[in-house]
Amino acid sequence: MAVANELEKRSAGRKPPVEESPAPSSPAGNGQHPTVSPQTQIARLRMMMLIRRFEEQTFREYTKPGQKVGGFCHLYSGQEAIAVGTAALFDKTRDYLINGYRCHGHSLALGMSPHSAFAELFGKATGCSKGKGGSMHLFDAQDHNMGGHGIVGGQLPLGIGLAFAQQYKKTGGVTFTFMGDGAINQGTHNESLNLAGLYKLPCIFVVENNGVAMGTQVERSSAEKDLAQRGCGYAMPHYHVDGNDIDRVIAEFGKAVERGRSGKGPSYIVADTYRFRGHSMSDPMKYRKLSDGSWGPEVEEARKRDPITLFQVRLQEEGLITDSQIDELDEQVGEEISQAVQRADNDPFPALESRFEDALAETYPLEK
Amino acid sequence: MPQMQLREALRSAMTEEMERDENVFLMGEEVAEYSGAYKVSEGMLEKFGPSRIIDTPISEAGFSGLGVGAAMAGLRPIIEFMSWSFTLVCLDQIVNNAANVRYMSGGQFKVPIVFRGGNGIAHQLGATHSHRMESVYARIPGLVVVAPSTPAAAKGLLKTSIRCDDPVIFLESEKMLNDVGEVPEGDYLVPIGKAHVEREGSAVTLLSYGRPLQRVVRSAASALVDDGIDVELIDLQTLRPLDVETILTSIKKTNRCVIVDEDWGYCGMGSGILYKLQKPAFDYLDAPIEYVHCDEIPVPFSHPLEEAMLPSVDRIVAAVKEVCYR
Repeated sequence: MAVANELEKRSAGRKPPVEESPAPSSPAGNGQHPTVSPQTQIARLRMMMLIRRFEEQTFREYTKPGQKVGGFCHLYSGQEAIAVGTAALFDKTRDYLINGYRCHGHSLALGMSPHSAFAELFGKATGCSKGKGGSMHLFDAQDHNMGGHGIVGGQLPLGIGLAFAQQYKKTGGVTFTFMGDGAINQGTHNESLNLAGLYKLPCIFVVENNGVAMGTQVERSSAEKDLAQRGCGYAMPHYHVDGNDIDRVIAEFGKAVERGRSGKGPSYIVADTYRFRGHSMSDPMKYRKLSDGSWGPEVEEARKRDPITLFQVRLQEEGLITDSQIDELDEQVGEEISQAVQRADNDPFPALESRFEDALAETYPLEK
Repeated sequence: MPQMQLREALRSAMTEEMERDENVFLMGEEVAEYSGAYKVSEGMLEKFGPSRIIDTPISEAGFSGLGVGAAMAGLRPIIEFMSWSFTLVCLDQIVNNAANVRYMSGGQFKVPIVFRGGNGIAHQLGATHSHRMESVYARIPGLVVVAPSTPAAAKGLLKTSIRCDDPVIFLESEKMLNDVGEVPEGDYLVPIGKAHVEREGSAVTLLSYGRPLQRVVRSAASALVDDGIDVELIDLQTLRPLDVETILTSIKKTNRCVIVDEDWGYCGMGSGILYKLQKPAFDYLDAPIEYVHCDEIPVPFSHPLEEAMLPSVDRIVAAVKEVCYR
């Protein structure tokens, strides 16, 4: 059975959302939406390309001799439309985003500089977390990026807590709580969805379904193969979106944003996508290879649905961008990435004494 | 000074802090409509309403992590656990999230949250409901651990804990809630990270905290004083960070030390305290430090068996006499 067919099935012909919401009022969608300027669409494309370049450069930095990126490292290549689509809807003054460990793409999309991210991956003092978090734990308080979290599913209770604070303070903000298809089998998934539904929290649960949790395909990990059904029973809409189509992502996530902002409660969205790279850097992806060691058909099929190519073709068809402009963009982001790497490379490691800083906010004994 | 139950002291601390700061809220199982499993929050729902006194389903991982997220977003949650034993199902939220988020973000976030509830052996609840969790949490950098032993300390420490910008593990005992004592009115605050010398003495330093101090250590100290041994009794109050300075000052005077807890000895709370003391106290000691702890077995249900596994006045007296060569 061709897995690619399964991928398409996951994305197409799903049941509509349990609760139909009006189209989002925020600037979202494709060229047909008069509110979205060509510049905005091109900026989105550029960000997707930047994320891809960042990840492929990270791959090289990890694998070349004198490996600069230490520890576990999980790349986002292939899933860019989801992060960039989210950023298009994100209001940094009141929304929050919290994530699992595959967090590079979302962090860049929300505004983290490639330099700050590379420096963190290299364990440098100039990294977003001063070299104390690493690849799995990119945080940026300014962007309301509440972090990548290393324990699968561990971030879900934090996500509903952020949403709780938004409800408590009546900010009208929403929290995007990201997870992979592996996290839905953790106990926190049940507890968090139930609490969010019970309290009607403005939490948007996004399952980035790339089809495989580390090396275990969804078919071998979830009793229910239709993952949107895993959001069933918690009094919230639960539906699929084609996670490779940024315009669909913006439109479908937009409904959840609208719902959250208006106090109607949480949503559960399965964004079907594909992970071009392995689970982490040590993954040879045997599960995608044929017995002779060559790539199986799923990989070729997935390449055809590369979210960046899909978006480029669409913008070309709409006459918003030309081949040479795309090449120019590519050159620009390539240059930006190589400058960022170079700068991070030249940055100092943290002072050894700094390891004792940032564990506690207070000094003790504490008298208040 | 008004007399009140320890349960009322906790309630008055929470009430005063909630009146002082609208970002403080109380969440937990049965805290609102049921008035609290142990009636600590009785009347608070009526006073503050359901948006600030919040019942949860039985989902420790869910609501403890909810508290951490809310704290990251600027609120000051008080999360009540019916028993600290139940936090074995949400260790990840406390250890990986509450304690690590600040460090992993390079200090970008703070986590001002209080986790509170009954800790330890509360009489015939069996092995699953009788865990002494202090040594589990007191070894985690990024956490603060406190354990009051009197109603006054309960109020003062809880108020400071709620104002603290770090995650605080606040260890109560179901068997202390009915204790009555004098509690100062108004803004009474007890510092975190300071031990309290409860009785000054010259012969031996006796260290304990919370429930074990209340249950047997005070009685043992009285018996020893009656027997002519001038005990210096120290209530540690904060288990992390440990007030080593106060302990060492005492040991330099007494040259002898006994630690009492209700933990298991191996890797127990007292073992951690011993690790902190053995080197700086070594030159001042006239005898090895004694450590009185529980028997190393799961906590039995039957009353006489449970009593037998716990530190007793006799065991403490014997240990003190051992270090005093009497």
